[in-house]
Amino acid sequence: MIDVEQIRKSFNGKRALDGFTLHVGAGELFGLVGPNGAGKTTLMKTLSTLLPIDSGTAQIGGLSVTTQAREVKRLIGYLPDQPGVYQDMSVREFLEFFADAFQLTGARNRAAVGRALERSGLAERSRDSVEQLSFGMKQRLVLAKTLLHDPKVLLLDEPATGLDPIARIELREQLKELQGEGITILISSHILSDLEDICTQIALIGEGRNARDTEGHSVIQLRAPQARVRIYEIELLGDSVPAVNILDSVAGARLLESGADRMLVEITGTDEQVAALLRALVVGGTDVLRFDHRALGLEERYRLAFQGRRP
Amino acid sequence: MNPMIRKELRQRMRERRGWLLPSLYLLVLGAAVTFAYFVTTADRGRSNIQGSTVGVALFLTLAYSQLALLLLLAPIFSAGSITIEKEQRTLAGLLTSLLTSAQIWWGKFVSSLLFVLLLLVTSLPVLSMAFAFGGIGPWEIFSATVTTVLILGCMSAIGLYCSSAFQRSVHATAVSYATVIAITVVTSIVFFVRVSIYESAHHLATHGWYDIPLNIRAPMYVNPFFFLTASFAPPKQLYPAWITCAGVFIALGALAVALTLRNLRRRGDL
Repeated sequence: MIDVEQIRKSFNGKRALDGFTLHVGAGELFGLVGPNGAGKTTLMKTLSTLLPIDSGTAQIGGLSVTTQAREVKRLIGYLPDQPGVYQDMSVREFLEFFADAFQLTGARNRAAVGRALERSGLAERSRDSVEQLSFGMKQRLVLAKTLLHDPKVLLLDEPATGLDPIARIELREQLKELQGEGITILISSHILSDLEDICTQIALIGEGRNARDTEGHSVIQLRAPQARVRIYEIELLGDSVPAVNILDSVAGARLLESGADRMLVEITGTDEQVAALLRALVVGGTDVLRFDHRALGLEERYRLAFQGRRP
Repeated sequence: MNPMIRKELRQRMRERRGWLLPSLYLLVLGAAVTFAYFVTTADRGRSNIQGSTVGVALFLTLAYSQLALLLLLAPIFSAGSITIEKEQRTLAGLLTSLLTSAQIWWGKFVSSLLFVLLLLVTSLPVLSMAFAFGGIGPWEIFSATVTTVLILGCMSAIGLYCSSAFQRSVHATAVSYATVIAITVVTSIVFFVRVSIYESAHHLATHGWYDIPLNIRAPMYVNPFFFLTASFAPPKQLYPAWITCAGVFIALGALAVALTLRNLRRRGDL
């Protein structure tokens, strides 16, 4: 549904996107994570037709975001990182204006506004001024506005920023519902636990390029088991330096992190290779206190992928 | 109806300046016309006053004061028009809707121009006073009004260009006012200085407009007050001064429109 191939975009000679590639299937709830300045917002603006690209291709539903922008706009709903509202309008007027802007007239306009009020839970406050709404309500209103024209693809740039925990939970539930309705969602966020909870896959972006985690994945499959690459946390009695040296001799083993008496090791291969690693450590004279398989959470994968890259 | 026009008009009329500015505008205009009336009648004995003299004086005072006031007010309506969308972060929502850049521009332009035209209409009672004294006919009123609308249309387009080029309303408004000062005050100063230099260099006094070489006259064709003055000529004498001014203002306005649409289509500076 979303196909981005080798996309490049510069601002005053500075590369914001530098050959980024992304493929999102129909109906997916796809996350996008990366440090500040990684190019997430630029990518979202490009996909939402707001920014022209320098090179590469970007398509939504098979339509080019550069040459078929108007058709793409019918397909997408875009929620910017800091969405604005018209404070001096009433909730209903705000939705009616955007329904008009999406060329919904007459009964279609009324139906879309009614649905949006229902969906956002603001039906009882439709006559209130937007200014009177809380931040969370405004965010719900803007999301409802984004859905007015029944888009097939939602582009959400940091939608949970500034929301309180309850509002974040509500947003997660709403996004799951929308995915259930068949809408493809690309969401960028710094709140990794939220993404981990709802996303099917997550792409890593750093310095405008596809970043990779310690296992070499640029896209993390959250709803599929990682079969061949495993992480082991090893706790030692004494110094970890001799153990680190032993690791070099074990095929498929790679040190991810080491502390005074602790190591985080990635091992690629079969169970026999894991057993070989443990054996090599013991035979090499290392006192192993603990040898635990660890399924890395998104936060840890993110940290390992981007540590030292913070701008 | 373009949804932008409906939205803009609704928002404008809800602002405090929606009623405050027309009130202040009428107060100042009324004061200027009253002042002109007393100045015109003070020099002469009551029996010698010609109604047409008073009528012409009131009309000219009204026309020039009105233009001066509207030149001061036009940037308030236009220069903040697009920057406010950037400041309140609503421009992205507009540009990702099915509204075209041209529709967004047209909505902004019509609403700012309509408000200025509303001010023009509110001055009709004051104008009717001048009309009642005689000395001016429908042609003068018509040509002055068309000229004023042309000038304000051009200035609104320039204000919208500034609004599209800057991120903040305060900057866009400042540059719009700088433009107003440049085309009114600066052009006049340049013109009069160059005429003086020309006269002293050639040891002659220029009596008619066309005695002055074109390169010295040229800056005045962009001066709104000269344009208004040219509109008082009889219909057969509108060429070349009025027609040239009209061409210059329309060209300036068209250039501003093209640049504004280009800025809106670039979209990168949201």
